[in-house]
Amino acid sequence: MEDIKAYIESGILELYVLGDVTQEEKSQVEAMISEYPVVKAELDEIERSMEAYALENAIEPSEELRGKILNSLLTNFGDDDTFPTKKEPAKKHNVIAFPAPKANSFYKYAFAACLALLILSVAALVDMYNQLNTANTQLVALSSSNQHFSSTVKFMDHQLGIYRDTSFKVIKLKGTAKHSSALMLVAFSPIKKQVMIDMADLQLPQNDNAHQYQLWALVGGKPVSLGVFDKTASDSADMKQMQSIAQAQAFAVTLEPKGGSVNPTMDQMMVIGSF
Amino acid sequence: MTRKGKISLTEDELVFSLRNREKIAIEALYDMYSSSLYGVISRIIVDTAAAEDVLQETFVKIWHSFSSYSTEKGRLFTWMVNIARNLAIDKLRSKDFKNQNKNQELENNVTFIDEQRNTVYKPELLGIKDLVQTLKPEQKSILELVYFKGYTHVEAADELGIPLGTIKTRLRMAIVELRKHFN
Repeated sequence: MEDIKAYIESGILELYVLGDVTQEEKSQVEAMISEYPVVKAELDEIERSMEAYALENAIEPSEELRGKILNSLLTNFGDDDTFPTKKEPAKKHNVIAFPAPKANSFYKYAFAACLALLILSVAALVDMYNQLNTANTQLVALSSSNQHFSSTVKFMDHQLGIYRDTSFKVIKLKGTAKHSSALMLVAFSPIKKQVMIDMADLQLPQNDNAHQYQLWALVGGKPVSLGVFDKTASDSADMKQMQSIAQAQAFAVTLEPKGGSVNPTMDQMMVIGSF
Repeated sequence: MTRKGKISLTEDELVFSLRNREKIAIEALYDMYSSSLYGVISRIIVDTAAAEDVLQETFVKIWHSFSSYSTEKGRLFTWMVNIARNLAIDKLRSKDFKNQNKNQELENNVTFIDEQRNTVYKPELLGIKDLVQTLKPEQKSILELVYFKGYTHVEAADELGIPLGTIKTRLRMAIVELRKHFN
């Protein structure tokens, strides 16, 4: 009891009422007042006297301030979650969704859709353009191969015509002793004065760049040049028309320097054949 | 807002209706305590507009932090007056308020200084002066500092040049004196 009296007289309760205590002291005072009714009564006395003192010292604030402060507190009611809204429950149900955001998002989506469509269209267009290009290329290739084919057919027709033509005689030129494997065919029409050599059946060694084969016709024992030709690596289906001549007893081919010679080099004779 | 007269409730009723967040509780709270609280605030802050701001802040804070008040820990007014005093002191020490005071216009200086020095006659302070005079001068000065100016007892001891123990005793005696007076 002595302790409690001393505690009361220490002045701590007064400081507690004045809010001039540390957190620790505060908890201590609160523990004391909850434990000892005497302390609680003392505290209550102090509080009442200070409250009365404050009331004695009261200053009435201006009349306008009452409205202002109450209004500010009442305005806060709307934002106050803890305040019961039982007086205006209908208001909550009266809230109508503002339609603007909906329209807003419609245009947003429409714009996005348009953009997507545009990108898709451009992509499709590019693809179509590429396909068209490919098709055009193929068409060109096809038409050129077609052209080649038709010209080949025309040429073959012509060649076939030569063999069918009874005026043409086909002479087999056989290899000389040096070149026994060499062989070629010459078609000669004295009436049309045409000499053709069959490039497809040309069985001669390949000539180099410095030399060419030269076809000779023996007319009355003398050689007459009928022009030069090449034996290339790739076989040709052509029949090559040589220079014209009205008559000949025999044909021969020699290997001559490029461009041909005036007289045949006899030791370079590849093939020879006569009627 | 029309006024039909001040609303008054018992402290228990008031606490109960404040807990239930009833609208009438705010009006009752204001009518019952605004002048007492304003009395304390306006002794710390002389400027009327600033004191009124603090009174408003005080009520907002009381309303929003009411859940932290417990009757176990003391009377409602004790809790509220501490909120008011702390807000007033915060305001007094705030940068804005200090700057505002430095930037007083020249022509207002005379009245401002008058207000600061409290030489203006305020009829509402008449009763207090009498009352405070029933206290001994040393009790009066300590109450002035701690209760009205918001000094801590440590600051008051420093200001008056008295040991801490003496300050506590004087403060207690002053309040004992008040208790005699009011009871």
